[in-house]
Amino acid sequence: MVVGSPSEEKCIRREIKMKFFGEREGMTRRQFFKGAGMLTVSAIFLGAFSKLGFDAFAASTDYIEKRAAGLYALDEKMAIRKSHENPEIAQIYKDFLSPGEVKPVSEKAHHLLHTKYGKDIPNFITELKSKQNEAA
Amino acid sequence: MSTVLTQGIINVTSDCRACDHCTSICPTGAISGLLGQRHKIDHNLCINCGQCLINCPFGRIEDASMVDLVKKALADPSKFVIVQEAPAVRVALGEEFGLEPGTNVKNKMYAALRRLGFKKVYDTEFTADLTIMEEGTELIGRVYGALGVKGYENKGPLPQFTSCCPAWIKYAEDKYPKIIPYLSTAKSPQQMFGAISKTYLPTKLNVNPANIYSVSVMPCTAKKAECNRPEFISSGYQDVDAVITTRELAALIKEKGIDFNKLPAEEADKFIGASTGAATIFGVSGGVMEAALRTAYEILSGSTLDEVDLKAVRGLQSVREASVEIPVKALGKALPVNVAIVTGTKHVDKLIEDVLAGRSKYHFIEVMNCPGGCINGGGQPIRREMH
Repeated sequence: MVVGSPSEEKCIRREIKMKFFGEREGMTRRQFFKGAGMLTVSAIFLGAFSKLGFDAFAASTDYIEKRAAGLYALDEKMAIRKSHENPEIAQIYKDFLSPGEVKPVSEKAHHLLHTKYGKDIPNFITELKSKQNEAA
Repeated sequence: MSTVLTQGIINVTSDCRACDHCTSICPTGAISGLLGQRHKIDHNLCINCGQCLINCPFGRIEDASMVDLVKKALADPSKFVIVQEAPAVRVALGEEFGLEPGTNVKNKMYAALRRLGFKKVYDTEFTADLTIMEEGTELIGRVYGALGVKGYENKGPLPQFTSCCPAWIKYAEDKYPKIIPYLSTAKSPQQMFGAISKTYLPTKLNVNPANIYSVSVMPCTAKKAECNRPEFISSGYQDVDAVITTRELAALIKEKGIDFNKLPAEEADKFIGASTGAATIFGVSGGVMEAALRTAYEILSGSTLDEVDLKAVRGLQSVREASVEIPVKALGKALPVNVAIVTGTKHVDKLIEDVLAGRSKYHFIEVMNCPGGCINGGGQPIRREMH
């Protein structure tokens, strides 16, 4: 390198610049663009994923909450809000399930409205069919 | 595909994308398949809840359909086709017609069903109230039995579990047969409706029960399996003939060219169509419990319940508990009633193990398979764009 040449001047200028930026090593244009580019891309991806992920979670309970709120609002609007005050419930017991009175788990109610589970089912079906044959 | 099924309602289609999302949703581990392979459902383990179906990101899981049976019955002049609809349907059906989730379309739904050709339009909420009467009375019997009250011996053990959810019932039968004595013997509202629609209703309408075709609109795929269970013949016929989902009802309405949003507000038919607010909340987790407590309080105390909203049992958390003091007139003292509410069958195991080990402090436990209750059932409108 020739002393006083333009290239030497460049070298000195770079050294000054390096001092100005503290301990950092020199960075070429190329390195700068590569780094900045990588940062930008990852920021976009991070942003997109966190946004998508957050929305999917928020939305998945959002519509459930809205449907629930819809049912509670409808309940509040109903003139009658307790099952035993339903006039047709009193009627079905008095006219059919327990004639003349409101008596849940009457014999007929037990036959029509109750069931059995699991291994008790085969015998239950036999029982139901024999009762129906008797009635017929 | 066969339309008479007691299991095998839910199936993965041949073009499964093998993303493996469903295996994390399934409450019973019924779905198998490696990442990248077509997944398969073990129908013995599957409880037909359809949670995988509504959560599949690619829409590659299907439910068996009885829509053709319903269409055939509607076209048959010898059939007297009647219909019931579950509470959860009325706050989700509107979504298929551009309305916000939670919009109540009950009265338009009744109108739409009449225009589809159903002779009479009733409501599952009527039999939800009937369920409270039967299941509530059963619970009081078990509590009195545990307290040693005379005349209430052999009423069954405590706690009593609810029996409205067919997915939960199959889960209990398959995995915990020892818990069966703890299940309420009361049928689900759908099956109670089926039984009375072919016994009580014919006496009121003077129709031959053999001609009645009883259809049910449900937010649920497991209800399709329930209606085909062989024990549901107490009317002398198959109690409920066919079940269609909220989605399938919306498709029928569109196919018929009915402008849903312009329909007038109509009411349900009488005798088995009247409902109450207690029945309406059956569609949300905690609702059966709240409805049961409203009635149990008034019947046991002989006084009016002033605060009808029992907020302690509401919410969307998987497991909730509450204790309610009920002054029991017949015993002359107040009785603390401990209740638990479970939504999501995955979360019930610990409670069951406590019950079987004799450690449970509860009197009554509500279990609903789908997170949030029937409003989020496997037959409801799919909100796939949200996932």
